[in-house]
Amino acid sequence: MKRNATPPVLKQVVHIIDDDEAVLDSLSMLLDSVGIKNAIYSNAQTFLDTHQGESIRALAGCIVLDVRMPGMSGMECQQQLEQLKCSLPVIFITGHGDVPMAVEAMKKGAIEFIQKPFREQELLDCIQHALELNKAEHERASRLLDIDKRRKSLTKREKEVMQRVIAGQANKVIACDLNLSQRTIEIHRSNVMDKMQVNSLAELVTLALIK
Amino acid sequence: MTFPIKKNLQANHTQEITDANAQLKALLNAAVDAIIIIDHLGCIELFNAAAQKMFGYPSSEVVGNNIRMLMPEPYRREHDKYLSNYMETKNAKIIGTGREVKACKKNGEIFPIELSVGEVLESSHKQFVGIIRDISEQVKARSDAIANRERLAHVTRLSTMGEMAAGIAHEINQPLSAISSYAQACKNMLERSSNVPDTIAQQQKLSITLEKISSQARRAGEVIRRLRGFVKKRTAEREYVDLNVLIKDSIELAKVDTRLLDHGISLSLTASPAPLLLIDEIQIQQVLFNLIRNAIDAMEDQPTDQVNISSKWIDAQYIEVSVTDTGYGVSKENLVHLFHPFFTTKETGMGMGLPICQSIIQSHGGELRHRAGIDKGSVFSFTLPAKSIVKNKLG
Ligand SMILES: Nc1ncnc2c1ncn2[C@@H]1O[C@H](COP(=O)(O)OP(=O)(O)O)[C@@H](O)[C@H]1O
Ligand SMILES: [Mg+2]
Repeated sequence: MKRNATPPVLKQVVHIIDDDEAVLDSLSMLLDSVGIKNAIYSNAQTFLDTHQGESIRALAGCIVLDVRMPGMSGMECQQQLEQLKCSLPVIFITGHGDVPMAVEAMKKGAIEFIQKPFREQELLDCIQHALELNKAEHERASRLLDIDKRRKSLTKREKEVMQRVIAGQANKVIACDLNLSQRTIEIHRSNVMDKMQVNSLAELVTLALIK
Repeated sequence: MTFPIKKNLQANHTQEITDANAQLKALLNAAVDAIIIIDHLGCIELFNAAAQKMFGYPSSEVVGNNIRMLMPEPYRREHDKYLSNYMETKNAKIIGTGREVKACKKNGEIFPIELSVGEVLESSHKQFVGIIRDISEQVKARSDAIANRERLAHVTRLSTMGEMAAGIAHEINQPLSAISSYAQACKNMLERSSNVPDTIAQQQKLSITLEKISSQARRAGEVIRRLRGFVKKRTAEREYVDLNVLIKDSIELAKVDTRLLDHGISLSLTASPAPLLLIDEIQIQQVLFNLIRNAIDAMEDQPTDQVNISSKWIDAQYIEVSVTDTGYGVSKENLVHLFHPFFTTKETGMGMGLPICQSIIQSHGGELRHRAGIDKGSVFSFTLPAKSIVKNKLG
């Protein structure tokens, strides 16, 4: 049975976007001090420009975003990220209790809305949580990619057989339906199990269900 | 009462002269203004009824005495010098023109007067006639007006800051949050460094970060200082201020309106020569603050449009400051009401912003005007008398 090599360690970076120089610098230093890799941007546009096109989807980590900035606001940036299909979790930081804005941001998928001044541990916990979410998301994505690759390695006939196996049909029934010998079906079936890298029917069904 | 004019013509006892004297006497006594005649040494020769009433002395107590007795210091000290100077050079600061000075009553009370002095020509000896008007009322009205304007301006500054509570919190929170994060970072660095040997590099990093902490603490202090200055009860006072510094300070203050953090401000300030203004700093800050807020109000639907502030010399004595927005502008119908008290088109508006701005600018000898923006929006410009900052050439 073939097994995947362990995937390379995910290089996660916390992207901090804030127009206030001191806030930006102090957050960066805070993350440095606990060994979290980070990058800083003094406005949202710079962030988007730096990671133009495809690479924004490939980013791993999370975004710490100030709500109020001249030019593109935090909310607008979040919208853009959504359009660009960027999956980085967003943590909003705000200097004032803007409740409707917080609700809106959370609806759009922000994972946290932190109010200044905050306890550093609170922010670090949030970031930790965001990084875990992002890691899980990346694992899911690469697993999907992997499964897709396995699926694509099946021949047309093998795919047909797999569909029926998953649907719970016995080999005999499949053979009859496809006008093939039961022996042939058995060979196809074993190839499917091999190529999909599963050991049992239950595993195969689970894999097939993953979208 | 003996009139000097009589002395002159004593030889001719005609009926005409008697008549003229009687008329003059009536005139002097009927005059509302105090009229005093002195000789070239300042010795009082005539003190009319109005003067007696104004100063509280009967004529007998002043005639023959020096005019100095009616003057408080420093006029008293200077007067002799002044008279003798005039006799020698004929150079008078006061003859022919009215002037505002101080006078002293019998009871010691000092009061403001307007004094005009004429020289009596063609008389037997040197004489000067002074006409004096008590202007206590006008001076009081003037200073009342100044105090009232400041009181009104103060109240609106207070109410503005009342509305700005959230923004004030934000402005103070920024440096506080930076301080807190820096401090936490320092702590983390120290805790981590207990495992590894302390290096010079680490110490330097810590020291730099601690310096950043104190600089952010000062920044928070600055915010509070600006706010306190803005809302403090005070008397209007003028000093020389660098306009460009004032504008930047006003923008920092205006950030308490958090919408400004969305819009941002672009500046195009005249750099050379830098304008120096004799102004009431807080009041001019208030004008800028009001104009900036109006500009933001007008751009409610354009949250990324900037406010522009520019300054330029319009001639050698006047500087013009303009606050420009690209908002909804002012309609023709509203134009005539723009500077009227309580005119507002805003749901929560007070309509006192522009009237106060105008009165402040006018009291500084300038003008506040509106014109339409190039494509859209508005430009509010004010002029102020200014001089250029002369760079110190001694150094
Ligand atoms: N920059 C501007 N653009 C458009 N209209 C303005 C502007 N500034 C002032 N106005 C108009 O003038 C009115 C009076 O302004 P102001 O005296 O500051 O009072 P308020 O802002 O409380 O309404 C405003 O309600 C608005 O209609
Ligand atoms: Mg206003």
